[in-house]
Amino acid sequence: MTNTTATDSGSRKLTIARAMAEATAQEMRADPSVFVMGEDVGPLGGVFGNTRGLYDEFGGERVRDTPISETAFIGAAVGAASDGMRPIVELMFVDFFGVCMDAIYNMMAKNTYFSGGKVKVPMVLMTSTGGGYSDGGQHSQCLYGTFAHLPGMKVVVPSNAHDAKGLMTAAIRDDNPVVFMYHKSLQGMGWLGTEKGATVATPEQSYTVEIGKAAVAKIGQDVTLVSLGAGVHHCLRAAKALGEEGVDAEVVDLRSLVPLDRETVRASVAKTGRLIVVDEDYHSFGVSGEIIASVAEHDLACLKAAPRRVAYPDIPIPFAPTMEQWALPNADKIVDAFHQMMSQ
Amino acid sequence: MQPTNDQRLWMYRQMVTSRHLEERIEALYMEGKTPVFNMAKGPIPGEMHLSNGQEPCAVGVCAHLDAEDVVVATHRPHHIAVAKGVDLNAMVAEIFGKASGLSGGRGGHMHIFDADVNFSCSGIIGESLGPAAGAALSRKMQGKPGVAVAFLGEGAANQGAFHEALNLAAVWKLPVVFVIEDNAWGISVAKQASTAVPRNDLRASAYNMPGVHVADNDVEGVFTAAGEAIARAREGEGPTLIEIETSRLAGHFMGDGEDYRPEGEKEGLQQRDPIPRYRQMLIEAGLLDEAADTELVGEARERVEAAIRFAQQSDFLPPEAALETVFV
Amino acid sequence: MSTAITVPEDLWEGDNEGVITAWLVNDGGQVSQGDLVAEVMVEKAQYEIEAPADGRLTITKQEDEVVEKGTTIASLDD
Repeated sequence: MTNTTATDSGSRKLTIARAMAEATAQEMRADPSVFVMGEDVGPLGGVFGNTRGLYDEFGGERVRDTPISETAFIGAAVGAASDGMRPIVELMFVDFFGVCMDAIYNMMAKNTYFSGGKVKVPMVLMTSTGGGYSDGGQHSQCLYGTFAHLPGMKVVVPSNAHDAKGLMTAAIRDDNPVVFMYHKSLQGMGWLGTEKGATVATPEQSYTVEIGKAAVAKIGQDVTLVSLGAGVHHCLRAAKALGEEGVDAEVVDLRSLVPLDRETVRASVAKTGRLIVVDEDYHSFGVSGEIIASVAEHDLACLKAAPRRVAYPDIPIPFAPTMEQWALPNADKIVDAFHQMMSQ
Repeated sequence: MQPTNDQRLWMYRQMVTSRHLEERIEALYMEGKTPVFNMAKGPIPGEMHLSNGQEPCAVGVCAHLDAEDVVVATHRPHHIAVAKGVDLNAMVAEIFGKASGLSGGRGGHMHIFDADVNFSCSGIIGESLGPAAGAALSRKMQGKPGVAVAFLGEGAANQGAFHEALNLAAVWKLPVVFVIEDNAWGISVAKQASTAVPRNDLRASAYNMPGVHVADNDVEGVFTAAGEAIARAREGEGPTLIEIETSRLAGHFMGDGEDYRPEGEKEGLQQRDPIPRYRQMLIEAGLLDEAADTELVGEARERVEAAIRFAQQSDFLPPEAALETVFV
Repeated sequence: MSTAITVPEDLWEGDNEGVITAWLVNDGGQVSQGDLVAEVMVEKAQYEIEAPADGRLTITKQEDEVVEKGTTIASLDD
C-alpha cells in the first residue's frame, strides 16, 4: 500500500479490495494489537485482494496464513480477541460458514453476553459474498440474513470503496465482533466481473463510517428502492431507467444490517409511499422481509401500494450461466417490480 | 516434578471444596424437582453437569497456573473454576441465575466467565481448544507472560475442532496445553464404542507434539504431567496433549439414570474415589491428621456454604436486563 | 512536456495480454510520480501501474480494454 500516496485531493479512487487493505494497514500502524489471519491472506494478499500489501509491510507474524481450519482459527480469533488482541480473521467464502459456525455464533457472538459485558470480543470476521460468475451453489451465496438473524454480532455490507474503508476502520476499532461482508463483484477483481460503480473516490486519511447508519445513494420522491452491497448498483441502474420514464426513485443503501437503520428506511418510505427491497440473498426469512416488516409494523398507512421484493429465489444457486443470471436480481427486474406495483 | 507439601494440601483443599460444592448443588438442584422431575423447576433450573470424581484433573493442572494464565473449560466446569480461583460467590450466584452472578444470570452453569482470572468455558463439545489456542497466540504475539490450557472430555477428541486446533497449535508452536478428562463416557456412549484409539494421547503424534497419559485418576500424576507440559509451554517449546483417566461419579447430567453403565461399575468407581484416596495418602505422608483434616474440610465447606448463602440472598436482575450487554 | 504511461515490459511473466480493470484516478486528474494509477489483470492476477512522472492524466486506454506489454495507456502532461 505504500505506493498509493498523494494524488490531488478527492480524485484518488480505490477498489473495495484496496480500500479494505488500506484501512487495515492504517489501523495496524496505529495499533499493535491489530492482526490479520486467514487462508491466503499473506504473500498472496487474499484471494479477493483485500489483504494485498499487508504481508510486505507487517510480516508473517501479523499477517498470518492459516491452515484450512476455519473452526480452529476463528475459534482462536475469539480467544485472542478476549485476551487483548484485535484480530481480523477471514472466512474466504461466506458459504464456508458451515464448517465453523459454532465459533462464530456460539462464541464470538455470545461470550460478551455470557460474561455480562465483562469480556470483550473485538474482532472482525471478513467474508466474501455473492455470485453471478458461475461458481456454483457453495461459492456464490450471500447469507446476509443468516448472520444478521443471530444476535451478538454487528454486520456490515459496503457497496463502494469509500464506505468499505470507513466501515472497516470502524469495525476494527469496535469493541464488539463485526462481520464484514464484501461482495465479490464489487472487489475490483476483474475476473469477478467488477461493478465499476464500487470503485470510487476514497480519502487517504483514516476515517470511519458509522456502523448502523444507512445512506441515501440517490434522492427521489416516487418510490424507495432499498438494498445493500451489489444490489445498490442494480437499484441505481433501475433508478436511472425509471428516471427516463419520469419516475423519481430514491435508493437507500443499508450499509449495515446490525444495527439496522430502520429510521432511514421509514423516513424514505414515508416520503415516497412505495417500497421495493432488492436482495441477492434468499427471498424468504431474510433481509427483504425484515425491511418490509420494519415499515409495515411502524406505519402501514404510509404505504400507497403493497411492498415488493426482488430477491434470490429459494433455490440453491445453479451453475449454468443461463439459470444463474435468470435467478439473480437485476435492474430490469426492479423496473418490472415497479410497473407491477403501479398496475395494481 | 513432584508437588511440595503446600501444593499437596492446596490440591486437597480445592478438591474438597469442589466436591462439597457439587454435593450441595446436587441437593439444591433437586428442590422442586420431586416427585416429578421438571428441569425448569427449583432454585437451580436447567441442565446440571456435576464434576464429582474429576477433581484431580482440575487441581493437578491449576496448581501450576496463576491468575494471568488462561483456562478454557467445558460444559462441566465447576471443579476447574474452583481450582482456577474463580470468584466462588459470584460463580454460585451465577449458577442460581442471580444478579450478583458473574454475568448477572445471563450465562448460567455452562457459561462461566471470570475475566479476573482468565477463566471461560463453552457448552459445546470441542470448543475449548480454539479459543485457548488463540489466547496462547495472543500471549506469544504480545510477548506477555502466561500460557493457556484447554480442558475437554474424551468425547471431544472425535470432534473436528480437536484436530484442527492441535494442528494449529503445533504448527504455530503455541504456549497451550490440551487436557483431556477421560471419564470413559460420552453421555451414554462408552469410549471404546466411539473412539478408534484406546488412548487419545496417542493422537498427539499425528500433530508432532508430546502426548502424555495419566492413569488411575492420580492427583500427583496429573500434577507431574501438567507441570512438565506447562513448563514446556512457558519456555516456548509448544503444545502438549495430556489424557487423564478420570472418573465421573455422577451421571452425565442431573437426572441421568445411568442404566448404560455395566453392573457394578459405579460402585467400583466410588471405591476408587480420588478424594479419600488422596486424604489417605496425605495422612500416610504425615501431612494431615484427623484433626487437621476436620479443620480443613470444615473451612472448605464453610466457604461453599457462604457462597450458597450469598447466592440465595441475592436478587434476580429485572427480566428486561436480558436486553443488556449483548454489545458493549 | 508529455510523458507516456506504458505497460512495463517486466510487469508480468510471459507475453499474455492483460485488461485494464480499474483506473484509480479520473481522466484529467493530477498525479505524482509513483502514484498508483491503474490496475491491469492478467488471468486472475492483478498488477499495478504507477505514474512515471508528475502531471495531469489523459487516459487513452479505458477500463476493460485489452493491453499488452508496452501498450501506451495514458499520458501525463505538465
